Amino acid sequence: MPKRRRESEFGLSTLEKVQQTLRRRVCRIEIPPKEIIEENLKEQRQHLVDLISRCAIRGEGNSALVTGPHGSGKTMLVSSVLSEIEANPRVSKNLLIVRLNGLLQTDDKIAIEEITRQLRLDNVVGDKVFGSFAENLAFLLEALKSGSDSAQSILFVLEEFDLFAYHKNQTLLYNLFDICQSAQTPIAVVGITRRLDVVELLEKRVKSRFSHRHIHVFNSLTFPAYKEACQRMLTLPSAVGDAKFVKRWNQSIETLCSNSTVHDVLKKAHQLDKSICGLQSLLLLPICRVSDDHPEIQPVDLLESSKHLAADSKAAMLHGISVLQLSLVIGMKHLTELNDGDPFNFEMVYNEYLKFVQRKAHVVQCFEKPVVLKAFEHLVALEIVKAVDGHGSRTQKEYRAMSLLVTPAQLMDVLNTHPGCPSELKHWASNPLPS
Amino acid sequence: TPRKDIVPHISVRRTPCKTPSKILEHARARLHVSAVPDSLPCREHEFADIYTFVKSKILDGTGGCMYISGVPGTGKTATVTEVMSFLRKEVDEDKDFPEFTLVEMNGMKLTEPHQAFVQILKALTGQKATAEHSSQLLDKYFTSAAGRKQPIVLLVDELDLLWTRKQGVLYSIFDWPSRPKARLIVLAIANTMDLPERIMMNRISSRLGLTRMTFQPYTFKQLQSIVQSRLEGLQAFEPDAIQLAARKVAAVSGDARRALDICRRATELAETAQPTGKGKGPLVGMKHVDRALAEMFSSPKIVAMRQASRQEQIFLRAIATEFKMSGLEEAPFEKVLIQHISICRLEGLHPPVVSEVVAVCRRLASCRLILLESSTNELQQRIRLNVSQDDVMYALRDHGE
Repeated sequence: MPKRRRESEFGLSTLEKVQQTLRRRVCRIEIPPKEIIEENLKEQRQHLVDLISRCAIRGEGNSALVTGPHGSGKTMLVSSVLSEIEANPRVSKNLLIVRLNGLLQTDDKIAIEEITRQLRLDNVVGDKVFGSFAENLAFLLEALKSGSDSAQSILFVLEEFDLFAYHKNQTLLYNLFDICQSAQTPIAVVGITRRLDVVELLEKRVKSRFSHRHIHVFNSLTFPAYKEACQRMLTLPSAVGDAKFVKRWNQSIETLCSNSTVHDVLKKAHQLDKSICGLQSLLLLPICRVSDDHPEIQPVDLLESSKHLAADSKAAMLHGISVLQLSLVIGMKHLTELNDGDPFNFEMVYNEYLKFVQRKAHVVQCFEKPVVLKAFEHLVALEIVKAVDGHGSRTQKEYRAMSLLVTPAQLMDVLNTHPGCPSELKHWASNPLPS
Repeated sequence: TPRKDIVPHISVRRTPCKTPSKILEHARARLHVSAVPDSLPCREHEFADIYTFVKSKILDGTGGCMYISGVPGTGKTATVTEVMSFLRKEVDEDKDFPEFTLVEMNGMKLTEPHQAFVQILKALTGQKATAEHSSQLLDKYFTSAAGRKQPIVLLVDELDLLWTRKQGVLYSIFDWPSRPKARLIVLAIANTMDLPERIMMNRISSRLGLTRMTFQPYTFKQLQSIVQSRLEGLQAFEPDAIQLAARKVAAVSGDARRALDICRRATELAETAQPTGKGKGPLVGMKHVDRALAEMFSSPKIVAMRQASRQEQIFLRAIATEFKMSGLEEAPFEKVLIQHISICRLEGLHPPVVSEVVAVCRRLASCRLILLESSTNELQQRIRLNVSQDDVMYALRDHGE
């Protein structure tokens, strides 16, 4: 008896370990190993490694931009390069790294304070930076000018680079690029952005100083590669523990990936979004489902997860509204179709509602006008209807121009699945009342 | 305060920079934009003009202004700095040549136009004061000239950034030289030729005077000789390769930085292409320059469209179809959605739900293949293409899976 208990405990901890490993992968806490990145991005990675190490070893100033759509692994690429660089003592002891993010450093003042703090310059005491903005900038430029090739190289990593281009006069970018291109402290600037037209945002003189090195990263996975990536992401390394368990798990993953349901789910996900990020969010739910009673990932889990991700938010919201509100929405749909997309107001909707209720009074209860207005306002709060731009606060709320934010197809889908929707309502939805 | 005496510095590196050993490394070091040569090729004429202007003013002991304009990367700042170092040398050699003080300033390196006063005062007297106070002190400094004999050369780079609504900074800078005792020579550098007429008030542009100089963009011959002069004595490039880079850059902008960057990138490409690098014969050929040019000049939009997921491509096609039907360059999301769903049906795909299409649309907008009007109203949001319709058709032609 005690032996069996220990075994079960052991099993549990293995599963916990499995979950931990897989979650770290899926939630992007861990940088995937170099080989996996090199499979698709060998050239780009080599370019970055060369660029940074040349800056560190030879003191050559450089600037480059990493561009690519969301989830294509720009940040991953850069952090993988940085971790390799840091492991190389020849490079790392001559290189200081300054990381900035356009979402945090929203103007040059904050950015320059952050740079002086990360470089630990002399006007920094503890975590405080002293001096006015102008003094800080002058101080920083002075510091960067004073050390020519005897100073340590500095690598600036600017995430969300496009946001830096919105700073006033682009002072920070000008100065960074200018130092790159003049014989001062050797620095390299690596910008990360998803905007493909980011260079057009730069001012002429800033653009001229940028060395126009573009490193493009795309979501270039074909479907077989995508499927393989899925399998690799779920496959455990042998280090997790119990060799037998790992072997069994990996076998189960292999059968999972050859399943036809899984194939369909992955195909659909790949058609929608080729990025690894999309795959990761698809796999998160199945991984979290793994437990003692459910020690293996089943195809059903993936199917369910894909359904979760594909849920239509508007339809889900419509499921929760009352029959009165539903009939208002149907009235609005008819009004929109009748008027060819022109906006409507509450009075028109109420009129439409009255027409319906008077004919079918035995099915649907007729509510007072204030009650209907309240229901209407509830719909506004849910943003199922919205006031047309520019027709705001001045008009009375009954006469405010509104437009419907639900497509007819969405509404019909909801009516077919809505619990307790009277059939008269469905009928009305497909056939407008003769006026 | 004790902070005044601090000379800021970046910590010293552990191992010194490696000096280049191979030919390509030498070439790269020389091609770097920061490696400015002692004398700039193809700018002799401009050099002579600026030199005679400054020299005559210094010798006469008078003041004056000069406005220098030209597109970025045409060697304005480099030429002016060269003139200054040449004059400096003359001062050292020639006993009769009067000493002069040089004050350099860059509009882009200031946080605010009025900081210019602070910087000039600090450079002249070492005093530190607020902007307003420094302006008064400088006024006094240039009118009285008590106990001061040296002429001052003030070099203002990126002049257009000193513009304020009242134009006080610009006025002061161009007014000082006309004071009898100031002996101030102002060299102002900016990009646009008509800046004085466009943004300055009449009383400022009249003070600026008519001594103007325009730096023309480099022609391809000049770019070629710039690159060749930097590579003198190094057999690293095929002559045709340099010519290709020079011609391409001259056609686009005439920016010397671009030409140097391209050649530098080409050396890198050549190095990775043949890691042995024996150093015999010309190493960087046409194909390397061509690849570097493609990397720097080509737009990634077509590749981005080709690499987009199936639904994203269908969405782009839906936009193009909708444009063709309506004849407009803009379409509401609702209409595109209808096209999207019908294309999906036509191709035998399960049509995605609205939320998914919205996500697809947002993704395309985040990398700026399409432009979205900022509005919270999803269905009525207007969509425009950021690429031409022909490009969409070209990229997506014969590209269904």
